[in-house]
Amino acid sequence: MRWPEKFSIRLQMIFRRGRAVERLDDELRFHLDRQIAENLKAGMSPEQARSAALRSFGNPALVRDQAHDTWAGLWLERAVRDLRYAVRQLRKSPAYSLTAVCMLALGLGAPAAMYTVVDRVLLRPLPYDHPNQLVKIQESGSKGPGGWGGPYLDLHQWADAARLLHQIAFYGSDNLKAVSYLQSNAGITHVTAPIISSNLWDTLGVQPVLGRGFKPGTDWGSVSAEDANSILISDAVWRTAYNSDPHILGKSVQLNGVFHTIIGVMPRGLTFPYAGALPPVPLIWRPVIITAAEKVRAHGLPSYEAVARLAPGVSLQAAQAELSGIQSRIAQQYLESWEREQVNSIVLQSYGDTLVKDDVRKSLLALLGASAVLWLIACVNVAGLMLARASSRQREIAVRGALGASRWQIVRQLLTEGLVLSVLASLAGLALAQLTLRLFAHALIMQFGIHERLTPSLSVLAALVGLTVLTALFSSLWPAIGAARTAIEPALRQGSSQSGAGRSQHRLRAVLVVAQIALSLTLLAACGLLLRTLYTLRHVPLGFRTDHIVVANMSIPGYKFAGRNMLTDLYQPLLDRAEHMPGVQSAALMTEVPLGKTFSMIYTFAADGNSATDARQRETKSQFRAVTPEMQQVFAFSMARGRFFNSSDTPNSPAVVVVNRAFVRSFTGQDDLGKIIGTPLVNYGKNRRAIVIGVLDDERQVSLAQQSQPEIEVCMPQITPDSGLYKATEGIAMDLAVRTSRNPSSFMPDLRQLLRAASPDLADSNLTTMDQIVEDSYGSQQLATRLLEIFGGCALLLCVSGIYGLLAYLVHQRTRELGLRMALGAQRGQIMALVLRQAGWMLVVGSACGLALAWFSSVLLRMFLYGVQPHDPWTMFAVTAVLLVCGLASAWIPARRAAAIDPMQALRTE
Amino acid sequence: MKSNHIPEIEEDQISTPYLDGLHIFVVDNLGMGKPSDLVQGTLDLLILKTLSLEAMHGWAIAKRIQQLSREVLQVQQGSLYPALHRLEQQGWIKAKWAESETGRQAKFYSLTAAGRGQLQKEAANWARLSSAIDLIVAEA
Repeated sequence: MRWPEKFSIRLQMIFRRGRAVERLDDELRFHLDRQIAENLKAGMSPEQARSAALRSFGNPALVRDQAHDTWAGLWLERAVRDLRYAVRQLRKSPAYSLTAVCMLALGLGAPAAMYTVVDRVLLRPLPYDHPNQLVKIQESGSKGPGGWGGPYLDLHQWADAARLLHQIAFYGSDNLKAVSYLQSNAGITHVTAPIISSNLWDTLGVQPVLGRGFKPGTDWGSVSAEDANSILISDAVWRTAYNSDPHILGKSVQLNGVFHTIIGVMPRGLTFPYAGALPPVPLIWRPVIITAAEKVRAHGLPSYEAVARLAPGVSLQAAQAELSGIQSRIAQQYLESWEREQVNSIVLQSYGDTLVKDDVRKSLLALLGASAVLWLIACVNVAGLMLARASSRQREIAVRGALGASRWQIVRQLLTEGLVLSVLASLAGLALAQLTLRLFAHALIMQFGIHERLTPSLSVLAALVGLTVLTALFSSLWPAIGAARTAIEPALRQGSSQSGAGRSQHRLRAVLVVAQIALSLTLLAACGLLLRTLYTLRHVPLGFRTDHIVVANMSIPGYKFAGRNMLTDLYQPLLDRAEHMPGVQSAALMTEVPLGKTFSMIYTFAADGNSATDARQRETKSQFRAVTPEMQQVFAFSMARGRFFNSSDTPNSPAVVVVNRAFVRSFTGQDDLGKIIGTPLVNYGKNRRAIVIGVLDDERQVSLAQQSQPEIEVCMPQITPDSGLYKATEGIAMDLAVRTSRNPSSFMPDLRQLLRAASPDLADSNLTTMDQIVEDSYGSQQLATRLLEIFGGCALLLCVSGIYGLLAYLVHQRTRELGLRMALGAQRGQIMALVLRQAGWMLVVGSACGLALAWFSSVLLRMFLYGVQPHDPWTMFAVTAVLLVCGLASAWIPARRAAAIDPMQALRTE
Repeated sequence: MKSNHIPEIEEDQISTPYLDGLHIFVVDNLGMGKPSDLVQGTLDLLILKTLSLEAMHGWAIAKRIQQLSREVLQVQQGSLYPALHRLEQQGWIKAKWAESETGRQAKFYSLTAAGRGQLQKEAANWARLSSAIDLIVAEA
């Protein structure tokens, strides 16, 4: 068989290369010795015999090489040889190698870090069957998408009528942030427990790994009554709360105090509906029970989120068109005309697209672009370095060419050096990227919901390998080709300079430096704009104080207080104890602190009627908070009119509410604050209509960048268990805000003790400060600014080193000429000016190009900016000034060195 | 580049026209650089044929070729070795290190079974080629 023999010969060739080379030498030597012996026998003298033998043999070295060249695996041998040589060359000049590796590490680390985040947030495949067929359905109308799917009645009609949708399932969206309390082996575990329809798993194409899903009931999508108290748990809950108990099925556990049966465990990694990011607490799923009331058209039906699977081969647009047609019929069933207007069409989106907000996606891509710019700058810089190095190795390359190396071999050698540098740099860059991600862990949690430690996935590593190769090509190909093309003879001539480059090479390097300056200016301009945005955001007048306030975000186990009055049993004692803690000036409870984003409630007025007043009242969506009177002492806000709650407001005194200016404007359409005082607004309970007693000055309570939203605040001490407000506001979440002069880090453990004493479930509450909450609220700008600061700083550093490198090299090259000039009478100042002028023209041209680039690219930043235009001239001016100053400073040292040249020394050097 | 050792061509040796042409090819092109395809093929044929008789080392092959061609083919001996190594890589011949007649270790080549088949193929090709050249040369 030829095949195995050939293969074994090949293998031998690869692994026993050195031995084979020795043997080849032996073989040739044997031949020569035999021939010499025969020649001697024929009577020649030893020298004649030898020379005759060599003549008839040919050139032994050439023969050896030719024989060697026939061996298999030659490419590998050459590559290894190139590699060894490259490493040796790089070791000989450690300064150059280290500089190049550092620069490339910066250039490769930034994209590595950004791509890891992009891969995790935007590109993660969903763990469902054919996820690109999944869509999210939203009812929409004159005001745009409502933000949810629709009530059960509408969903059922969609499922019946839509042909282009294979299946529709739904789930409850209200309780995604609320915490439920699950009894586990180790006590109580906090979980999130969304309610889901019976066909959700079929629609998604997943199955439980243990047990079964919910049994379908008689109504479409609902769960059978026998599964009313069943729950499905996630793999995370099964592992952490129940220690992967194999007999978990059928176990009866308490959820919020009510007994439920575990009927199944879902696969690992399934976190529906959180599929974009991990939820902060583990998930379980509860069945949706459709009540009789939901099957009759009325006001205020509960809404569900709808997810559906497209029929095979159906496009999104076709399904949307069909559903819109169906929806226009459904909208007619609504009772009020204004209701119909809000639900008369459908918005259909691919499910994957809905998981990441649009501006988050855009910001991530913008940051990825910025990191790519940094990569480009690093490559350009290193290319300049390599050009310099190649020109100083001219003689060595010329010698190699004279000895027979082809152009391709020389280029290959230089490319291998570039590749070695790139590989080392990518390893360093990967380490840098990991470090950066760890530094920004908090921002990653807040902005993207990434709770786990980010490590680069396989696709990131593959992309990094590709980028490394591209870097090597990009930075070393041009210098390599240039070096290989230089003429051999002039370089070998005795009197020629060891190194030196023609004017074209100087110009090339100068062009590279100009390109670097332009790109750096782009990044710096973006950085400058964002810094200004941050400054403006930091100085937005909030309308309330945020210093020295410690906040505890508590999840309240409402089920434990069923039948009791939480205000008297839990909240009042907690508040009293907090106020009496040492170092505390005042303490208050509220459902959510301003800017809190933990538990926001929206109050809408149900005004039936078609007058303008009714329409206006309906459209006023107010932030709703239940607060204690002490809030005014803690936050020190001011009233525009009337008074805030105080101790005289009790369950027995007249019910009162407080609103803010924005509410007045939205609700009444006028700015007259006096008229609203005394108008009845909210019901505390039967026959207890609250009147407005005060108007707050506007404050930024939702987001710093957003104008003040309408707000209604109710007085917590006045809420009694029989009022409708009690169920809505108490027993879910509460924030405790404490104004204290003590250092937060020493105060927080004491506060936690206090919470634990009040109720053991409160011990895990998140403790933070008001200042931190404010910082987190402009988190996306903060993250972008920090990253761009890093990118911009690195770019500036690279730029400065590029200018310095080029000028130092030029001064070194022109030492003789400058010495001559000084000998002929030039002043030191004139020499310095000469060098600085060279730097100057590069900086000016680079800045001009950079400003043009920045003009176009800063438009991409628009979504981040606040209070500053993308083309703000002051920022551009300041940034350019910084770059020019740094550039000139970097040129100063070579200029000084040039001016310090001793003419006699200079004329003597080569 | 002409090599400067063209051995004297006696009159009675010109009676073998095809070997004469080969002789010039061999001498001219084996000084420096790679042999042309034509020469490569015929060199392979010569080596395979020589080895079909018995296994021998490189020097012996050169001597034998010289002998068998009655001193016409002065193959530049060094050119044998790239050919030998190539043939070995291709699997037509196999090599073994053994003691030679002088007592030193030498690399002995021998023909493989596949090599025998290749020899027949090459011989057939050569016969076809040379008869084609004969036709053209005889014409003129």
